[in-house]
Amino acid sequence: MATNPSFMSGVPELLVLRLLQDREMYGYEIVAAVAAATGQVVAPKEGVIYPLLHDLEKEGLLRAQRRPAGGRTRVYYTLTSKGVRRLFDLSDDWTRMTRAIQQVLKGPSHAV
Amino acid sequence: MPFEELRERLLKAGIAPRHMRRYLAELNDHLDDLTQAQRDSGYDAADAVIRARAWLGDDDDLAAAMLARPALYSLPARAPWLVFGLFPLAALITLCAVPIALLAVLASGHAGESSSWFQDLASRLVFLSNWALTPLIAALFAILASRQRLPARWPLMAGLVLAALGFHMQASFPGPHQHSGSLGISLSFPGGQGGIGWPQWLAVTVLTIAPALLYRAWRGRPDLFAR
Repeated sequence: MATNPSFMSGVPELLVLRLLQDREMYGYEIVAAVAAATGQVVAPKEGVIYPLLHDLEKEGLLRAQRRPAGGRTRVYYTLTSKGVRRLFDLSDDWTRMTRAIQQVLKGPSHAV
Repeated sequence: MPFEELRERLLKAGIAPRHMRRYLAELNDHLDDLTQAQRDSGYDAADAVIRARAWLGDDDDLAAAMLARPALYSLPARAPWLVFGLFPLAALITLCAVPIALLAVLASGHAGESSSWFQDLASRLVFLSNWALTPLIAALFAILASRQRLPARWPLMAGLVLAALGFHMQASFPGPHQHSGSLGISLSFPGGQGGIGWPQWLAVTVLTIAPALLYRAWRGRPDLFAR
């Protein structure tokens, strides 16, 4: 789900959970929302989003519901309360990690 | 079908059929949306399809994304020895429990009456279990294997387990007129005392492993005992 997979571990999950916190979406909408929210920096092969969504649903972090939309039956994904807790955990981890890396990038004189 | 090759690839790799079906349905919808978006951007129909498929990802990308997630694999693919080795035993126990429970209920409701009809019913139930239900269960295991594209040796194993035990079932039921006694099903061996004869043994064995052999022929797989 990125141009450099080695830096992307856990990022797709974090992005998906965060975007679904705002509203329920189906796969195509989620991919479009990720691309828009990241200014196309995170540009996945779009089909690979679905195994992630299935996995998150199986973990109980998302709930999937089939619903008719535009003449088709779409699978809409919603964040569960367990998903919200995971989102907070991942957000905290991500914030700590990026803060630490920023300190390193600023150079030794700025390091704590 | 745009994803037929991907479908077979996922099934053979062990992805659960329900996840595979939903994945392909979602990919189809996604491809339609992408194609429409390309059309709206001014591309002609042929170009729109090609560009949409490139955005979606090729079969390697789509398969790898699914195969990287162990939670999406089916139980028969993860533990075939359990499903095709032990589940037939569980099915046999159930097969035994149902007629016993049925007859126990009947016996308790007809205490003191003549037992000839009861013995007759018991014999029929055992006959049905041995000759029809056991092969039927074996067929269900063959269907399960076919849904998952598993090697034919797995349903064959299930069939052999069922054949080895199932058809030996012999009933020994006290009649309702008897106030004490036991109700149960015992195993006996072909040719042995109280057991069925070898011709019957052979017939039921063939019936029970036939689904697995048919599955093997249908798949045309040479690797029956490979791996």
